[in-house]
Amino acid sequence: MDKETVTTISNLSRLAFDKENEEKITKDLENIIKFVDQLDSVDTSNIEPLTSPLEKTAKTRADEVTSKNRKEKFLKNAPNANEDYFLVPRVVE
Amino acid sequence: MTWETVIGLEVHVQLSTKTKLFSGASTSFGSEPNTQVDLIDLGLPGVLPVANKEAFYKAIRFGLATNAEINQVSMFDRKNYFYPDLPKGYQITQMEKPIVGKGSIVINVDGSEKLINITRAHLEEDAGKSIHDLFDGETGIDLNRAGTPLLEIVSEPEISNAKEAVAYFKAIHQLVTFLDICDGNMSQGSMRCDVNVSVKKVDDAILGTRAEIKNINSFKFIERAIHFEVARQIKLLEKGESIVQETRLYDSVKNETRSMRSKEAANDYRYFPEPDLLPVVISDNELEEIKSTLPELPKQKEIRFVNEHNLEESEAKILASSKAMANLFEDASEKTKDSSLIAKWLVGDVSALLNKDNISIEESKLSSINFAKLIERISDNTISGKIAKSVLEEVWISGNDIDAIIEEKGLVQIQDESVLEDIAKKIIDANPDQVNAYKGGKDRLFGFFVGQVMKETQGKANPQGVNKILKKLLNS
Repeated sequence: MDKETVTTISNLSRLAFDKENEEKITKDLENIIKFVDQLDSVDTSNIEPLTSPLEKTAKTRADEVTSKNRKEKFLKNAPNANEDYFLVPRVVE
Repeated sequence: MTWETVIGLEVHVQLSTKTKLFSGASTSFGSEPNTQVDLIDLGLPGVLPVANKEAFYKAIRFGLATNAEINQVSMFDRKNYFYPDLPKGYQITQMEKPIVGKGSIVINVDGSEKLINITRAHLEEDAGKSIHDLFDGETGIDLNRAGTPLLEIVSEPEISNAKEAVAYFKAIHQLVTFLDICDGNMSQGSMRCDVNVSVKKVDDAILGTRAEIKNINSFKFIERAIHFEVARQIKLLEKGESIVQETRLYDSVKNETRSMRSKEAANDYRYFPEPDLLPVVISDNELEEIKSTLPELPKQKEIRFVNEHNLEESEAKILASSKAMANLFEDASEKTKDSSLIAKWLVGDVSALLNKDNISIEESKLSSINFAKLIERISDNTISGKIAKSVLEEVWISGNDIDAIIEEKGLVQIQDESVLEDIAKKIIDANPDQVNAYKGGKDRLFGFFVGQVMKETQGKANPQGVNKILKKLLNS
């Protein structure tokens, strides 16, 4: 785990941390990965990956509209909005 | 140096379900911003997505129609990236186990057929819409589209040029509209595609580095974007430079593609199995049920039109090419038995008007009832073919009832032989020189008399009747 990887991950996850914490976080992440890496010692070559601990399958819904227009409430809840849209700092394409 | 182009397409088809992939919010187009948003679409804490079964059924219809493997157990994955129109910070998609596996589709280029293999087709949710040009210094977000089900159809890199790419996109468009799984409305963004383009020397075994052109939503732009991109890549390679693997944007105004480096840095999507959704299982019974409701597909329709209605293959192909066209033909065929007359009008005048306005049948004002009526009025001799042409043009503009137009404009064909005979006599009396010349052997003047009668009746005289009467009068 080098500094560059930590920076990339923090950028991708939009998580910022103080410079003084950088070393500590790098070390922590290293330890976490080491811990999880213990799982590599188990031979899983003939085992299907487990994607859910529940041995169940999904319930699905019928294609019927059940949702109401709650625009006002939702927009009021946003950090910034006008009467129609959520507003965010300009995203330039 | 001879270069070879290699193209793969990712087509996003908006499935025509009433509600979103994971919530009960409506998907209808054109509503006021942010009025069709559910807690689930917003990704508020504590909510859980529930999959819409109908989206699976529609995806399976596509799979069956392309002879694809159907994964009766399919799963969802998370694709992580940040963008303001993606409230959750991830898109739910299918990476490992898509609902539809390997399949294929036949495309038609300049009369010859080519099979294009389809790698997979998976379900995923659409993002919201960002509006950049409405607010000063800010971007507006409309989440009505967020969560709308998309079927992403990924082709193998087996497309060799822009023409084939357009043909492939058209074939998908035709198929999804026939299957009734997408409304096919390109201007509303119901079908969009990403084009992967690379070039290589003809003898090279390995593919060149590709560029991905994002989000093109018209046949014309696909063609232009590919032409531009291929030329750009060849130019770079011939200068000895290399191609950067990147995402590019097609600018239709400047007719160029350019790099979208802003998204480049975030190009690590860190997929992982979606923990909020369990595997979705499709039973054998469900699969059989879907199979039994598959409609007749374009190719089958074409063959049936030739066999049942004795049409020319070329006519049948045009008529079967769109669902709306085929419906016009079949509805009219029920009203009048003259299939070849119907085909002639659809392939001829109706197609010409469509081309002129560059629209599809659905967008025109010609209803199937009105079209059937037009054919009926021609075949029962109410109006002549020539008048029918102007009636069609009138309907094209106004959409009014055929019979109303015929009556209002007094276009009913004159069939009464005594009326026609009176007019013919008048013409003959008024043109003694021409009569003498005709009788003296100038047979070609017969057309002159027909023309005069037509002029006198404003084209309403029944042509067969006019011929018969003029022959009788002039040859006596």
